[in-house]
This record gives sequence, C-alpha cells and structure tokens, in this order.
Amino acid sequence: MNIVVEFFVVSFKVMWSFVLAGAKWLIKPEEKSVEGQVCVITGGGSGLGRLFAAEFARRRATLVLWDVNRRANEETAELVRDIYREMVPPKGFRNSVGELQLFQPQVYTYVCDVSKRESVYSTAEKVRREVGNVTFLINNAGVVSGHHLLECPDELIEKTMMVNCHAHFWTTKAFLPKMLELNQGHIVTVASSLGLFSTAGVEDYCASKFGAIGFHESLSHELKAASKDGIKMTLVCPFLVDTGMFKGCKIRKEMAPFFPPLKAEYCVERAMRAILTDQPMVCTPRTMYVVTFMKTVLPFDAIVCMYRFLGADKCMYPFLAQRKESTNNNGMKPGM
Amino acid sequence: MMDTKLLGCVVLFPIQILFCILKATVRLLVPLKRKDLVADVVLITGGGRGIGRHLAKEFAKQGARKVILWGRTEKCLRETCEEIAMTGTECHYFVCDVGNREEVYQQAKVVREKVGDVTILVNNAAVVHGKTLMKSDDDALLKTQHINTLGQFWTMKAFLPRMLELCHGHVVCINSILSLSSIPGAIDYCTSKASAYAFMESLTLGLLDCPGVDCTTVLPFHTDTEMFQGMRVRFPHLFPPLHPEVVAQRTVDAVRTNTAFVVLPWTMHLLVILKSLLPQCALEEIHKFAGSYTCMNTFKGRT
Repeated sequence: MNIVVEFFVVSFKVMWSFVLAGAKWLIKPEEKSVEGQVCVITGGGSGLGRLFAAEFARRRATLVLWDVNRRANEETAELVRDIYREMVPPKGFRNSVGELQLFQPQVYTYVCDVSKRESVYSTAEKVRREVGNVTFLINNAGVVSGHHLLECPDELIEKTMMVNCHAHFWTTKAFLPKMLELNQGHIVTVASSLGLFSTAGVEDYCASKFGAIGFHESLSHELKAASKDGIKMTLVCPFLVDTGMFKGCKIRKEMAPFFPPLKAEYCVERAMRAILTDQPMVCTPRTMYVVTFMKTVLPFDAIVCMYRFLGADKCMYPFLAQRKESTNNNGMKPGM
Repeated sequence: MMDTKLLGCVVLFPIQILFCILKATVRLLVPLKRKDLVADVVLITGGGRGIGRHLAKEFAKQGARKVILWGRTEKCLRETCEEIAMTGTECHYFVCDVGNREEVYQQAKVVREKVGDVTILVNNAAVVHGKTLMKSDDDALLKTQHINTLGQFWTMKAFLPRMLELCHGHVVCINSILSLSSIPGAIDYCTSKASAYAFMESLTLGLLDCPGVDCTTVLPFHTDTEMFQGMRVRFPHLFPPLHPEVVAQRTVDAVRTNTAFVVLPWTMHLLVILKSLLPQCALEEIHKFAGSYTCMNTFKGRT
C-alpha cells in the first residue's frame, strides 16, 4: 500500500516538474546576483574561459583566474580590470547608499596546471588564504591532442584525460568542503556536445568529456542524496565553438548551414543565463537536445545512418589531418 | 547535379532510418547467422574472476582456438586456466596490471611471441572504489581511472594494429549501465565507465571503415559478482541482479552476431531514454524512488 502511494506521489512530482519546466519557458526566472562572490575559472587565459571571466566581471564578481599560461592569464586579468574600471564609478556615484556600493571587485591570477593534483591543492590553499571562500567553481580548462588513437603518443592521451577529466576531481575536492559546510556554492562543468555523443578519430577527447559528464552527474546526485540543496550544479555542453580548438573540423557541406559553428560569445551568454538561473544543464545550439534524444531511441545502425547523413561521423578527420600537417605543432593547444 | 544528389539523400534518409529500425526489430525475432570462433585467439583482461572468468569459459565452450587470461592475482588466473584446459581448449595466463602502461606493452609482446596474434580482445578488467567524492582517496580515484579507462587505451594500442593488418579481429568492452546513468556513491566508477563508453563509441564509428574488425560494447546492469557485493537495489523483483553466466553468454553471442551495443537487461533502455527526456528534478525523484540514492550505502565490494 505504502509503495503505491509513493509511486503516485513520484508520478505527480514528475508531471509537476514538466509543468515547472514549461513555466520557466513562459516566465523567465530572475538571474541571481553574483556581486562580490568569489568565482574560480580554470583555463581562464583563453577561449571560453576568458569570455566567462568577462561576463562574471560585468556582474561584479571577484574573479580568480587559473591557467598554465601566465601571459594569457594576465591578458584576461587586464581585460577584467578594464571592465571593472568602466562600470564601478557610475554605479558607485549614482547610488549614495554608502559602503556597499563602493565595494571594489578584484581579479586574482594564479599559474596552475590542473592536471597536477599537488599544484591544484596548493593553489586552492593560496586562494582560500588570499581571497576567501569560493562560491563559483567553473571547471573549464580543456585540451585536445588531435591525433588518431594509434598515432597518438601515450603521454598526450594521459594529458587529455588528466586535464579534461581528472582535474575535476582535484578542483572540486579542493573547494567542495567549504561549500558543503556553508551549503552554498555553484559548480559548473564545461564539457562539450562530444560528451553526449562521440565521433570517430578523437577517442581520447570524447572519453575525457564523457568522463567529465559522468563525474558531474554522479556528483550532482550525491549532493541531492545528501540534501545539500544550496549547492547548484550546471553542465554546459556547447557544440563546436569557433575558438580555433578544432580548426578544420567540418560536417557535411550541405548540412553546415543548419549546424553553424557557434559563436563563442553566444555560447557563453547562454551558459551564463543557465548558471544564473540554476539550470542543471544547457546544450547549445538547442538542436543538440534532439540529436541526443535520437541517439537514445534509435538502434545503432540508424544512428550511424544519421551520423553519415549529417557527415558527423568523420567530421574530425580534416582537423586531424590539418594537425598532422602543421609543422609548428607543439603538441597540445590549450583553450576552449 | 549536386542538388539532385542532396535531394536524393534527403528523401532516402527517412527510408534508411526506417529500414534500420525494421532490421533491428527483425533481428530480435529471427535467429541470425553467427560467426565461427574456431580461428580466434581470445584475450580477456581481468579473466581470473567475476564476469571475466565466465567469459573465458563461454568463449572456450563456443569453440575459440585459444584463450589468454590477464589479471593481477595469479591464483585466480591459474584456477580459471586449469578449469578451461580441462575442457580441452588451449589456455594461457599472464600476470598483468592493465593500469600500468609499460606492463601492458611488455606483456602484449610476450603474448605475441609465446601464443600468437590476438584476434578477440575483451576489455573486462575493472575496479570499483564505491565512495562519495569527499570520502574517496585521491590515489584510489586515479587507480580506478587507470584500470577502467586508460587500461583500454593501452590494450587497444597493443593489439589493434595487428588486427587491422590481418583484417580480422573483434574488440569487446564490458562496460556498465552506470556509464549512461550515474548513481551517487560510486563517482570513480561512473566517471571511468562513462569515459570507457565514449572510447568504444568513438572507436566503433572509426572502425566501420575497417572490414573484418568489429566492436561490441556490453552494458550490464548490476551483476551478481564479488565486485559489487553488498549493493542493494530497492526492487529486486523488478530488477533482479544479473548472473555473470548470463552476461558472458550474451556477450559471446553479441560477438558472434556482430552486435555493436548490448544493454542488459533491455528494460535499462527505458532508463536511458527517460534520462534524455525528463527535466533534472523529475529524474532525481525517479532515482530516489528506485532506490539508486541508497543502493551504495550497503556496498562492501571485494573484501
């Protein structure tokens, strides 16, 4: 008897969640304020990381940027300072309320290789000491090796896995305890649509991104199971972004107009909106939801047909060939 | 010219899809042609116990020429090997930790010299730590990744080139349904299995162009082995734990019929479909109801 009641309650809750989701389409929920909150962005030196930094800066968050590349990281910091400078005085003067308005957000930069556990832990300790409690953790750092499996040096495979997937363990472990204590925080995983469906030739990259999503999902269930409702999680799955990370990658020519490479700005804008409204997952463009759904219902042969029709099964081959050709290839390209 | 071709593709596409669905349905009903395993040398990682042990027996039973076992514990390997040798199939075993890259390459060389070319590679070795993120030990987290995911990269790099040369081979991965639908309390395992799934999916797509070399990925639900000892599902009558013999039988059958992906039991398809449709909070409610939030509380693992 008990179980029957429970079943109905669950069914009702499932229905209700659809209603809520529908309501969110009609009435746009308000974005939460991040003013003064500490936001850590890994891989902040380039690509999406830099754009995320700019967006958070515009909302007056205190930024902590991590990157392996000191110079690129400093450039982002400079960009962020410019944004702060432009916006702070007018806001401060217009409202004569007092100290709160004079709050001056700051940007901190750290050189950190997220693939190295010790480096992550020691940098995180520094952040805690020098900046304070972290509310936002954006796991964004990512690399791609760009070789076929059998030609790829083992070290690059390991590196891809360590940066794109294992690094999430260390950064999250470093900052989660404090979030759990305060029951407040937000963890964002920047994966890729290649974390939802794969394509040929980039086994290591797909593996690392699927892994990151597996980690994200398991962790979000863990937080739910522990009733830590104050800690939010957002999964960001952009399709091919024109940051140059996958230069040369192309799908079937005739299909390309339907799946244009994403503007990085658009992708970050959508992601920011999702983060600030506590949305659990965001795919850009929206057609990706359809592809993901089709993948779960169709038999494998049909999926292959679909991939071939779109030219998506071998879309990475031109990219891999280009990588091979480029002589000034120094192995890995950070970014995205 | 270009336009007519495109138009043809667009018209043909839904027909192709329908045909594929029809084919998949027919395959469920009509017995298929099964390929022979007489010429095949099978290598099974983690072959000493659990599903691996049953796989070894099943491959021997279905007529594989030679069976090679890899594992970390010599005692289990020897026992399984003796058991198979009794049935009359040639069997060898080598102690090898797939998480250790150098060891994999070295043992692969030994296998090639002593036994010959491997034509069926079964990536079955896996470990589970079974704790939440904050309770997990860093080294244990990494070890799971190394054995469950990276180990497959190394074994593949060691054996796939020869299969491609011979145009004859089959790559099998024993994954888990947790790769597509995570649960709390086994974060190391979910992460590594999701990675391994993507690896196989990407490889399967890549190998479509290579005649003679095929892939099979098996995604079983909770299997009744030592590895997941103590794990409790809430509705054992609806979702009974699988027996390792059944998983082994279905796997060998999938290899013989060249099936790319097998989900065991089929009801788990529903879970995956639901996951891609439902809003997150609805999915959480279902997980809670189905007991996947508490199933790892009683987990003991291999003691």
